[in-house]
Amino acid sequence: MKRWPGYVFAGVILIFLLALPLLTGSRATLNLFTHIFIFSIFAMSYNLLLGYTGIVSFGHALFFGSGAYLIGLLLKNAGPGLPTVLGGIIAAALFALVVSLVIGALSLRVRDVYFAMLTLAFGELFFIAALKLRTFTGGEDGFSFSVPPMLQDRVLYYYLALLIFMLISWFLRVFVSSPAGAVLQAIRENEQRAAALGYDVFRYKLISTVVAGVLASLAGALYGLQQRFVSASVLALDKTMDALMMTIIGGSGTLFGPVVGAALVSFAQEWFTRLARAYTIFERWLILFGLVYILIVLFFPGGLLQAWQRLAPGKRTRPGTVPVPSQPAAAGEKQELTATRETSP
Amino acid sequence: MDTFINLFTNGIATGMAVFLLAVGLSIIFGLMSVLNLSHGALFMWGAYVGAWIFGLTHNFLLAVLGAVFAGAVIGTILERVTISRVYGNHILQLLLTMGLMIVLGELIKVVWGPNILISPVPQILSGSWDFGGIILIKFRMFTIAVGLLVALAVYLLLKRTMLGIVVRAGVENPEMVQALGFDIRKVFTLVFALGAGLAALGGAIMGPLGGAISPSMGLDNQLLAFVVVVIGGLGSFVGSLAGALLVGLIGAFVAWFIPEAALAVNVLLMAVVLLLKPTGLFGGGGV
Amino acid sequence: MILQVADLHTYIGEFHILQGISLAVPEGGATVVLGRNGAGKTTVLRTIMGLLRPHSGEIRFAGQPIAGLPAHVIARRGLGYVPEDHGIFSGLTVEENLRLAMRGQQKEERLAGMLALFPELQAAWRKRAGSLSGGQKQMLAIGRVLLTESRLLLIDEPSKGLAPLIVEKVAQALNEIKKETTIVLVEQNFNLARTVGDFCSVIDDGRTVWSGGMSELAANGEILHRYLGIGRRSEKA
Repeated sequence: MKRWPGYVFAGVILIFLLALPLLTGSRATLNLFTHIFIFSIFAMSYNLLLGYTGIVSFGHALFFGSGAYLIGLLLKNAGPGLPTVLGGIIAAALFALVVSLVIGALSLRVRDVYFAMLTLAFGELFFIAALKLRTFTGGEDGFSFSVPPMLQDRVLYYYLALLIFMLISWFLRVFVSSPAGAVLQAIRENEQRAAALGYDVFRYKLISTVVAGVLASLAGALYGLQQRFVSASVLALDKTMDALMMTIIGGSGTLFGPVVGAALVSFAQEWFTRLARAYTIFERWLILFGLVYILIVLFFPGGLLQAWQRLAPGKRTRPGTVPVPSQPAAAGEKQELTATRETSP
Repeated sequence: MDTFINLFTNGIATGMAVFLLAVGLSIIFGLMSVLNLSHGALFMWGAYVGAWIFGLTHNFLLAVLGAVFAGAVIGTILERVTISRVYGNHILQLLLTMGLMIVLGELIKVVWGPNILISPVPQILSGSWDFGGIILIKFRMFTIAVGLLVALAVYLLLKRTMLGIVVRAGVENPEMVQALGFDIRKVFTLVFALGAGLAALGGAIMGPLGGAISPSMGLDNQLLAFVVVVIGGLGSFVGSLAGALLVGLIGAFVAWFIPEAALAVNVLLMAVVLLLKPTGLFGGGGV
Repeated sequence: MILQVADLHTYIGEFHILQGISLAVPEGGATVVLGRNGAGKTTVLRTIMGLLRPHSGEIRFAGQPIAGLPAHVIARRGLGYVPEDHGIFSGLTVEENLRLAMRGQQKEERLAGMLALFPELQAAWRKRAGSLSGGQKQMLAIGRVLLTESRLLLIDEPSKGLAPLIVEKVAQALNEIKKETTIVLVEQNFNLARTVGDFCSVIDDGRTVWSGGMSELAANGEILHRYLGIGRRSEKA
């Protein structure tokens, strides 16, 4: 967003978000927006992997869930106190740091599909562990815990989440435009070329995995604090899918695409959950999301934000998101099989 | 001794059901280099369609055939409508097939509800044989027999038929297969349908083998199939069979001692194999 | 003319590789496509074969337009292709490689004729193609394309990586084949090109720059020097 209208746009949204608690007394609305901030952080962390480094991980819920669990376990066992909250957040970040280093070091050495397989397997391993270790985690039923009174205030927690969301956005913005961020994008575009230029691809991918893991665990910790309840579902594949859908729907490889995605998905979830109370068929709203997601993957792999930019005249499209073979306007020939494919309908 | 035989037959039977799932995954992976994350969902569709038809007709053969047919039809549609659009792009394939998995899984919940259902064993195959104190559960033996038959059939198909030669050649160099006059796209669709049908067959048998089916069985078994593909090596038929039996046995024996750790041990096995011998224990392509 | 190519343009990714190729291949004999490394020779063959999609231009085979058709359709119309790396399936046996080319039909006579040309293949019948020597692989590739019974063979650098003695064998085989089947040959090895070729086209930077008879080219020091880097006087015998 280099053009000044972008700043104006962002400024208007920021003023709106700052003023929102004054405009509405609805706890539900504030909760929904807090939820959006938290999932924006989660989706942005996922986007760092998918959109900026070109890595597909299906185990991202592992970090989100362990962040939520760590803060929950600490608060439950040590009692609600602000130092405990701080300690929990630090513990969550450290845990994510160590686990992402280990899993990254193990999994990043193999080709993309195997990485996806391994992360899915590790993610499910944590999920199943949480299901089975009931005395510790509460399993499916989970457990609730109390948070310091300050954080129980919805307005205060709204502003806290907004502040952290903005800090992390700022950090990611700096990070992706830093030299390291440029290398990540070079890896996304062409791994061999990045390696040939002398970059240690493995190390940069590891950095990306660790940063994404730590940010996801922060999002998870915030989520735990908001819910004051945690169960095995925070580690389920569904949570990874939330991040994936938000990233894809909003637009991978753009800084704020996942934020747009998080807002859209959260609003829609809220709406469908309400509809489902009247019509049970809407309990399966995930089908609709899944279909929209599939259509976007097939036809607008850059996400809705990019589709809109592309369709709107006079707007320059941002190059490269998920590495996609460019649509063959002239005769682009990228992949081994497309030659005959393009001729068949 | 009884426990050992019990665990052994259970492990082999489970391994055979996983083999049916894994062999299709492996061939599709080898030929089209598509890691199909919706393969487990096709397995699950096989389990549900099988149980549903069996409930209606009480004819197990019909149930199994119906499941295979449903799997093949769904597979054909998926390949034609969606997956064929993303050949050559691994990232989009992963993202797409993950979405397909979610949608197919949710559709199961729409049709049959989100709860665990009973998947009964047919009358003929229920009960067990007693060979001088060695008790063999009939349905397990049946599963092993079906697994062996299918393994043999797939082996002959790959080794002896023109389609098999085309598929094996296509795993190596799809472009050259085209240049020799074969429509590799049609071969892809066919192989995908075949893999989906085998997955559904695996599901239709795994249902009664475990006694119950649930919307989470797709993902669980898919993870096992991944382990098999990794252990067996890319596109390797023999590797899939050996890997599946190994995974089944490990699952059965570990579960006897520490039930919670069964999947964990298999996943760790996958990680170790990937790190030490990324081409799988039975050769195959590169990682 | 069995094959006519007019003003062919092909892109690979965003690179404009072919920028106006024209070829006229008469029925019978061998036409050699010559040019420096990177001139676009392989891309010409791949585009004709349908493995790359042309951006514009015309390709006519036996009078019928084939530009843009899928490779397998073009193959079934009667074009055979031997790629630069010979394109044999190393995991398959020699027999399976050959059966693939026969597309499930019985072609005893054709097979016998081919094996007379390459008797070494008979001996290696059940061996994995990957275990053959470089020369045997090339013979398998050429033998295989013969079994497709194509009217026109596109052969990409059959001499690449082979010892001179084996190149001679390949040249003999090609000379034998061209009596019955038209060949379009891409070659870097000018000696082989001269032994086999009757006609030739020189391409440079994706354009056809010269076409004519082989003997005319051999006599045209200017073209040889400018486009093929063969010295006017220091040309090796």
